[in-house]
Amino acid sequence: MTKSDLQKLLGSPDRDPGCDAGLDVIDVYCEAVVRGEPIAGRFTEFLTHLSNCTACREDTESLMAVLREQEKSGAG
Amino acid sequence: MREQAVARLHALLVRVARGVAARRRATLPARALEDVDDVCVHAANDALMAVLAKLDTYRGSARFTTWACKFVIFEASSRLRRHAWRERKVEPDETIWDRLPDAAPAALQRLEDDQLISALHHAVNEHLTERQRLVFQSAALEDVPIDVIAERLGTSRGAIYKTLHDARGKLRRALIEAGHGEAEPVS
Repeated sequence: MTKSDLQKLLGSPDRDPGCDAGLDVIDVYCEAVVRGEPIAGRFTEFLTHLSNCTACREDTESLMAVLREQEKSGAG
Repeated sequence: MREQAVARLHALLVRVARGVAARRRATLPARALEDVDDVCVHAANDALMAVLAKLDTYRGSARFTTWACKFVIFEASSRLRRHAWRERKVEPDETIWDRLPDAAPAALQRLEDDQLISALHHAVNEHLTERQRLVFQSAALEDVPIDVIAERLGTSRGAIYKTLHDARGKLRRALIEAGHGEAEPVS
């Protein structure tokens, strides 16, 4: 048994503000990541939420994909 | 002028919804594929309504299009998850604990030889409410998307996540008390 096996089932015990609070910052977070801005310390609770919530993690990846496509096409 | 701007925004939202569907295509059963475009258009319609209703909350922290896109991604992904599960049942299934070796996610399969499985099962039965048990077993053990659970229970993704979060907290504390795991950080 590894710690990460258990964490996948039980989630991280760190502070997690939930899906609604995540939706508030997902756009700011994705733009920061796509622009290559340093994110350490800025989105700690949101990152905990992403590690705990598959749906929000997938939505974040989707928004990131949209922004990267926009950048590639020059629309970003 | 405003109508043209709204029409352009709607077109963007439909495009983004279709992009979400394209990326999720592999998760959709064959029977669900034919309705996917309708699902995307409905998601874009609802997202447009959400954007227009929340315009006064836009603070400019991200670009307007990024801010608007998050609503259509939320709508489209939620609808597509529900669409993929529309013919499948979500109900408490005690046989999950017997079926774990075949049915569980990889993380649980690696735990199957460990006493932790029985401690976890005991904690689920002893410490969770009926609703927490349903949500934890469905979401964590059977990989049912929380949007699907939310729809079946007539509530929101956020509410189901809160139930899951509370259940996980109870289980972590119960396992620590039973001698498994480490003390939680103070938050």
